[in-house]
Amino acid sequence: MRSPFLLPVAGLALVGAAAYAIFFVAPEEATMGAIQRIFYFHIASGWTAGVAFLLAFAANIAYLAGRAPKWDWLGVASVEVGLAFCTVVLITGPIWAKPVWGIWWTWDARLTSTLVLWLLYVSYLALRSLVEDPRRRAVACAVFGVFAFLDVPLVYFSIRIWRTQHPQPVIAGGEGSGLDPVMWQVTVLTMAALMGVMALLVWQRYRLEALRQQTAELALP
Amino acid sequence: MSLLRAAAWVLLKEMRTEWRTRELLTTTVVFVLMVVVLFSFTFDPTREESRRFSPGLLWLSFLFAGSLMLNPSFTREQANDTWQALRLAPVEPFAVLLGKIGANLLFLTLAEWLLLPVFGVLYDVSLLRVLGSLAGVLLLGTLGLCVVGTVFAAISAQARMRELLLPVLLLPALTPVLIAGVEATAGLLEREPRLDWTWVKILAGFDVVFLAASYLTSEYLAEE
Amino acid sequence: MRDGMKNFESIFAAYMLGWGVLFLYQLSVGKRLRDAENEIQRLKEEKKKA
Repeated sequence: MRSPFLLPVAGLALVGAAAYAIFFVAPEEATMGAIQRIFYFHIASGWTAGVAFLLAFAANIAYLAGRAPKWDWLGVASVEVGLAFCTVVLITGPIWAKPVWGIWWTWDARLTSTLVLWLLYVSYLALRSLVEDPRRRAVACAVFGVFAFLDVPLVYFSIRIWRTQHPQPVIAGGEGSGLDPVMWQVTVLTMAALMGVMALLVWQRYRLEALRQQTAELALP
Repeated sequence: MSLLRAAAWVLLKEMRTEWRTRELLTTTVVFVLMVVVLFSFTFDPTREESRRFSPGLLWLSFLFAGSLMLNPSFTREQANDTWQALRLAPVEPFAVLLGKIGANLLFLTLAEWLLLPVFGVLYDVSLLRVLGSLAGVLLLGTLGLCVVGTVFAAISAQARMRELLLPVLLLPALTPVLIAGVEATAGLLEREPRLDWTWVKILAGFDVVFLAASYLTSEYLAEE
Repeated sequence: MRDGMKNFESIFAAYMLGWGVLFLYQLSVGKRLRDAENEIQRLKEEKKKA
């Protein structure tokens, strides 16, 4: 029987390895200096949020296809965790921007898209909290979740084109900027670490939803 | 009954219902008008810069008006218990959805066109020379608004606080429509009018994606 | 050098706040999980008595 601590410890080890890499392995960036080290956390969180939302999309479709409650549980779990990582992006972005550009918010395409994404999935949670009947709630959230995810590329591209027509400072190195190979490796390692954290959080939130179902069943006379 | 015929039937029903009282249409027109006038108090439309903001103000008023007038298409059914009749009718659920999207599109477009002359006067913009392109841009944008808005109205009809929930759900989702609509309109209202096809493509793409998504999810919406 | 110190505060803030968000979420879920597990235990015991 595998120890229940194996996965969390592995996750922690991965995070530790990434932290070491970020501060001691990655080279110092030429123009910005040390502050660029926020980049790894910022970018990796962004990608992790994206993967979480993709997972939610798959769960939403699976729910509509088969109506198994477990997909609804996975859906809400992934959205909440994705939103948490989205919040990290929105916090680390301005902290990076202030020393470099002198202002907190630069309407950078990626950060602005993340803000809209954050609002979109927060409204998913609003919807979830306002529909009482569990089955209707699951259908409502699944349909909304599908629409929300389909909107993501449209949001991203419309904001990006909008920003190229009205240029503003770009926060995390523009779309075309290359990355030093070591920096790239550190970025990938950080992404792996954060996705591990994401998986652990989603798993727990999923379990919580499953237990709530169990509670509701037990509470019936 | 074929899909389009059923949808047209639903559309006619919506139009007939609305024609009896005309309350949705008149209230929407008044609301859009009020928003545009109020905006002009905050930005002082006599100055050159505020003329730059005018496309944004136009589209924001449409967006606000839309998110308020979309709810009744479903709450009216609930109030009068006609929803069951629609559900049990021997037509595809998508036909009902399409009919309602069409009705909302019609009402909102009517409100927009009643507003445009007022807008032109208040902000001193010449709309006549770009009328065709403007009509196209408005149609594509309003269609996107109505497709997503009608689906979200159906979803939020079963929720508490639905009047507030619908704008909350709708406004972030319509970001591409707002950006593309404003940018395209801004291009048309410049001294040298130009139609930026990038934005038109985004609006059209939005419409196609979400019409398809509505089609695929319509049966789930009809279950309630 | 002072620039490096200022940047250090920003880096520190970014990582602390970022991990703070994730940590708080973990705590929130953890607490609700324990509450749910206790509730289930309680309900099961009540059913046994009944």
